[in-house]
Amino acid sequence: MNDLGGPTIIIKQRHHKGAEQFDQAKLHKSLVAACLEAGSPNGHADQLARRVVDSVILWLKDHPEVTSQDVRRAAARYLRIYHPDAAYLYEHHRKIL
Amino acid sequence: MDIISSLAIISFAALIHASFQLSVSVLTLISGHALGSQKSHRRLVALTASFVFGAVLMSLLLLSTIALVANQFTDGSIGNYLWIAACSLLIGVGFAVMFLYYRNEDGTGLWIPESFADYLMRRTKATKSTTETFALGQTSVISEILFISAPLLVSALTLVQLPAGWQLIGIAVYAVISALPLILIWILVNSGHRLSAIQKWRESNKHFIQLASGSGLIILAVFVYTWMVLSSGVNLS
Repeated sequence: MNDLGGPTIIIKQRHHKGAEQFDQAKLHKSLVAACLEAGSPNGHADQLARRVVDSVILWLKDHPEVTSQDVRRAAARYLRIYHPDAAYLYEHHRKIL
Repeated sequence: MDIISSLAIISFAALIHASFQLSVSVLTLISGHALGSQKSHRRLVALTASFVFGAVLMSLLLLSTIALVANQFTDGSIGNYLWIAACSLLIGVGFAVMFLYYRNEDGTGLWIPESFADYLMRRTKATKSTTETFALGQTSVISEILFISAPLLVSALTLVQLPAGWQLIGIAVYAVISALPLILIWILVNSGHRLSAIQKWRESNKHFIQLASGSGLIILAVFVYTWMVLSSGVNLS
C-alpha cells in the first residue's frame, strides 16, 4: 500500500506484459535466489531478503507507480548494504547475456 | 603448407573462437539458476558438464561439416579465390567484433537481437534436465555463428589440406581449444568459486577481450593471406 491507500502499481518494462500489483513474495523469491547464487546459506539468504523487502515496501510508500526496473534498482541498493556480491548478481542478472 | 603451420593456424583460429562470450554467458546463467534454486552440487556438475559437452560437440560438428563441404567442392586443393574470400570474412567480422560485439551499457550483454537474448534467458531459467542443457550448449554455439563462422571457415580450409590422420588431430585441437573458457568456468563454478567474482572479471575485462578477438581475426587474415595467397605466387588474373 502506498501513501494514498492503494496498492503500488508495477509497470512492466515490456509494455505488452501490461501493469501488475507489487508482489512482495515475488521480490523475496528473486532476492533469495540472488543471495544463494552468491553463496549465502539458506537461512541467511531468507533473512537478508526479508530485510530488503521491508526496506523496499517503505520506499514504495512514496512511489505509487513505478517500473519493475525501479523496484530492481531499489532492491539492489538495499541489498548492497548487507551483501554486495548478491546485489551485484541481482542487479546484473539481465545484463549477463 | 607444412603440418605445424596448419595446426598453428587452426589453434589460433580456435583461440579466437574461444574468446567469444555467448556460450560463457549462458553457462554463467545456468550455474546461477542452479545455485539460486538450491540444486545439489552433483546436479550442478551434471547440468553444467552436459552444457559444455553440447557446446564442444556442436563446434566439432560444425567444423567437420564445413571441412567436408569444402573437400567435396575443391578435392582438397583450395584455390586462391577461396582464401581471399575467407580473409575478407575474417577482416569483416574482425571489425564488427571490435566495434559492435558488446552492448553499450553495463554488464556483458552482447550485440544480438534483444528478443533472442530474452529467449535464451527464458530457456536457461526453464532448463531442468541435463538433456536440455546439452541442447542449450549446442544452441549457444549456433547462436554465435555470425562471429565464429570466420575462424571456422579458415580452420576448415586448412584442415582439408592436411593428411587424413592429421585432420582428426586438427579437429580435436580446435574443439578442445575453443572450449577452454567453458571448461575453465565449469571448473571454477564447481570448485566453489564465487559467481559474482567470475562475472565481475568478465565485465571489467570485456573491452580487452573484444579488442583481442577483433584484432586476432585481422591478424589471422593477414597471416593467412600472406602465407596462402602471396607465397603461392599464383597470378589471380
